[in-house]
Amino acid sequence: MRADALWRFPGARSVALAAVAFLYLPIVVLVLLSFSDGDSLAEWSGVSLRWYREVFDNADMQRAIRNSLVVACTATLLATVAATMAALVLARGQFRGKRAMEALLGLPLVVPEIVGGIAILMFFVLVGIRLGIVSIVLAHTVFVTPFAYLPIRARLDGLNPAFAEAAADLYAGPVRAFLRVTLPLIWPGIAAGAMLAFIGSLGDVVVSYFVSGPGATTLPVYIFSMVRMGVTPMVNAVSSLLLFISLALLTVSYLLGRRYASN
Amino acid sequence: MSGPFAIDCRGLVKTFAGGSVRALDGVSLSIRENEFFTLLGPSGCGKTTLLRLIAGFEQQDAGEIDLHGERLDHLPPYKRPVNTVFQSYAVFPHLTVAENVAFGLEMKRLPRADIAARVMAMLTLVKLDGLGSRRPTQLSGGQQQRVALARALATAPKVLLLDEPLSALDLKLRTDMQIELKRLQSEVGITFVFVTHDQHEALTMSDRIAVMNHGRVLQIGTPEDVYERPTSRFVADFIGETNLLAAEPAGPGLFRLAGGDILQAEPAAASAIAVTLGIRPERAELCASAEGILRGRVEHISYMGTDTTYHLRLTDSGLFRVRTQNRDGALVRVRLGDAVGVRFPPAAVRLLDE
Amino acid sequence: MKPALRRAVLLGPATLWIGLFLVLPLTLMAYVSTLERGPSGGVLWDRHSADAYLQFLFERDLMDRLVLNTDYLHIFARSILLAGVTTLLTLAVGFPTALWMAFQSERLRLVLVFVVTVPFWTNILVRNYAWMLILRTGGTLDWLLTALHLPGPPLEILYTPWATGIGLTYSFLPYMILPIFVSLEKIDRRLIEAAYDLGADRWRVLARVILPLTAPGLAGGAILVFIPGLGAFISPELLGGAKSMMIGGLIQQQFGQSRNWPFGAALAFVLLAMVLLALWAHALRYRRERADE
Repeated sequence: MRADALWRFPGARSVALAAVAFLYLPIVVLVLLSFSDGDSLAEWSGVSLRWYREVFDNADMQRAIRNSLVVACTATLLATVAATMAALVLARGQFRGKRAMEALLGLPLVVPEIVGGIAILMFFVLVGIRLGIVSIVLAHTVFVTPFAYLPIRARLDGLNPAFAEAAADLYAGPVRAFLRVTLPLIWPGIAAGAMLAFIGSLGDVVVSYFVSGPGATTLPVYIFSMVRMGVTPMVNAVSSLLLFISLALLTVSYLLGRRYASN
Repeated sequence: MSGPFAIDCRGLVKTFAGGSVRALDGVSLSIRENEFFTLLGPSGCGKTTLLRLIAGFEQQDAGEIDLHGERLDHLPPYKRPVNTVFQSYAVFPHLTVAENVAFGLEMKRLPRADIAARVMAMLTLVKLDGLGSRRPTQLSGGQQQRVALARALATAPKVLLLDEPLSALDLKLRTDMQIELKRLQSEVGITFVFVTHDQHEALTMSDRIAVMNHGRVLQIGTPEDVYERPTSRFVADFIGETNLLAAEPAGPGLFRLAGGDILQAEPAAASAIAVTLGIRPERAELCASAEGILRGRVEHISYMGTDTTYHLRLTDSGLFRVRTQNRDGALVRVRLGDAVGVRFPPAAVRLLDE
Repeated sequence: MKPALRRAVLLGPATLWIGLFLVLPLTLMAYVSTLERGPSGGVLWDRHSADAYLQFLFERDLMDRLVLNTDYLHIFARSILLAGVTTLLTLAVGFPTALWMAFQSERLRLVLVFVVTVPFWTNILVRNYAWMLILRTGGTLDWLLTALHLPGPPLEILYTPWATGIGLTYSFLPYMILPIFVSLEKIDRRLIEAAYDLGADRWRVLARVILPLTAPGLAGGAILVFIPGLGAFISPELLGGAKSMMIGGLIQQQFGQSRNWPFGAALAFVLLAMVLLALWAHALRYRRERADE
């Protein structure tokens, strides 16, 4: 047996390649069909950008896209700030209630979206918060906070505590030590966390579906209703658009992570 | 000697894990101005904790710390005029070498021109001229060490605290840095408090050494004091090698070993019932069996280049090591299994506390 | 600033936010599940009743007697079955995939993790919609089978539990691969070399060394697939059709056409309890494993 054969297991490679193909097949099919000219959803008939044009000419669609971006930006900002603040405390030292705090921050990941969605819906109806952009932002912020928190916490956990001590030792008060030393050093974690929060908010269907109101839906909720009502190939185009946005953001966050991994 | 002390610690107690671990158990010591003072002890002895209390990274549970006669205890680290060289260097990776050195000066809001000049001077002092615009990641471990030193010295602190700064360097570099640190200390005239677990480092560099174990200071003195005149069994054993012999008093200045042999020791004995005697291997010499104070057989010989250590099994079955320098061949030709004697002057026998 | 005060200020926003907009709503949900439904939707805030939980197993016939009704039980059973099958399928595909990934060069490993992560972060709606295009009558799969002159089309897979199963497996496969991969990557290579050195063949190395050391990853992956699978809403909604409803769809229905908040809240509460129970069992096992070390 050759030395490198020790690490090979017959069949594993075939399964792995098949798995990757399986993961990408639907994405490829969708993107290809989005460039099809015809009126048929799933049949190919000539290359064109017709359906992308239709997406950009559709006022409802545009409003939904705008709503999605506003919601994602706001929720990302709120969640990232709150998550960074919490991570700064939870990454250092032991205190009573620390585990409970960590569990609380992980809770949105654990609660099934459908359960969270209807719970928040009932809460909003009860306290009289009108369903719309604001209610979506409130709910999204809850559900994307762990996405923002985890990379920031990981970055802080990997950070030598001596850096902050060195800053304090060299006459930097808490605020300046944070701004001049800790923040620059955990910045990649914050960027990655914000990116994931943004993707999470932009992609959410279930929670948004319950807490959005008439006249204020996000793009995924709009697509969802289109898919359920009656589909036109415009859905292929707008779905592909969502895909491209996520892919672009992921690539950026991956490259950021790699650049800083070497440090 | 009474003040002025650079640092004066009184009754410091520090516990961790809710009081279950006593890192410092009533430590009092005074460090003189411009002294190279070393805290020496095994890992977990509390030496780093003491350093971190002085720096202000931890708060003591009890006791007081004075800096030049003024209370330091309740100042946060960024208001204490002491700086630290960290074991991991903690050179900021997102700043250049020059920006690292300038950091403390900027925090003290010095004028820009002064900062630039001071940074240049510090880089020259630690022999890093021309590397100011480099990133720390582009430097070797030894160079990062120098950046950490320059950064800590730049603000001219009253005391420099060094937490095992040489432990990450290889042997050759470490020896160079030992000499370098002594040079720096005499050049800048600042009190250095140096933490190490390496006895050789402590002996070569220090003006005075405090030997610590289990959160207590066992002995403070010059390198010669702690090596030649250890007062406790721990100090004698931790610094250098020592033959430890259990004995009981048998008259003024006389002790009876377990095997019945009588030893003479200086100074005159305390009235303890059982004592431990310590004899350095290099203070003893081999001789003919009949002339020896102690007798035994050679059980093992370690040849170590500059000298040779003979491991003897004494007639009372205890162990004893004798070290001789290898000058012009050994005077005594001894082989494994030979019956030999050991002799030493009474001054070589130290009476040790448990 | 005192440490305790600093802590409170920094933890405040996240804690308040999640407390106010998740913990409080969940508590409210539990409360609503004990109320009587309003005559035209909503709830009667002052009228308590166990109807919501009774409705799960019984219905009132014309004579207002309670009669056993297993429709909802069926939906729960189907949900558990589909989530379980999904877990097994992702395990069967995920383990060999992670095994292969883990023993590639470091460079390739980074790329592969990225490749597997991309679908994980891609919109779940979009991914399930793509399967609608593939599985529908006259869709990509039918087209492919026809082009290859294979028997079969038109396949009528879409709007069956099979389609839901495919959608769930597809959606959650990365959740299985990644934790197993992390476990495999952590294994000290020398342990495997030692096993070979002591005469184990490839399969025994796999069974006796690699598999036991990967157990935490396998358990983690199973939890990460089973739990969201149980509460899945998008896949059954888009791919499953009316006859293969899962818990998620049933809950949604109570807030849509059925207008039965207490029953919806009760269902959601039961689902949440099941999820927490699974997590608790997992945590218990994991803690015991850690204590054994």
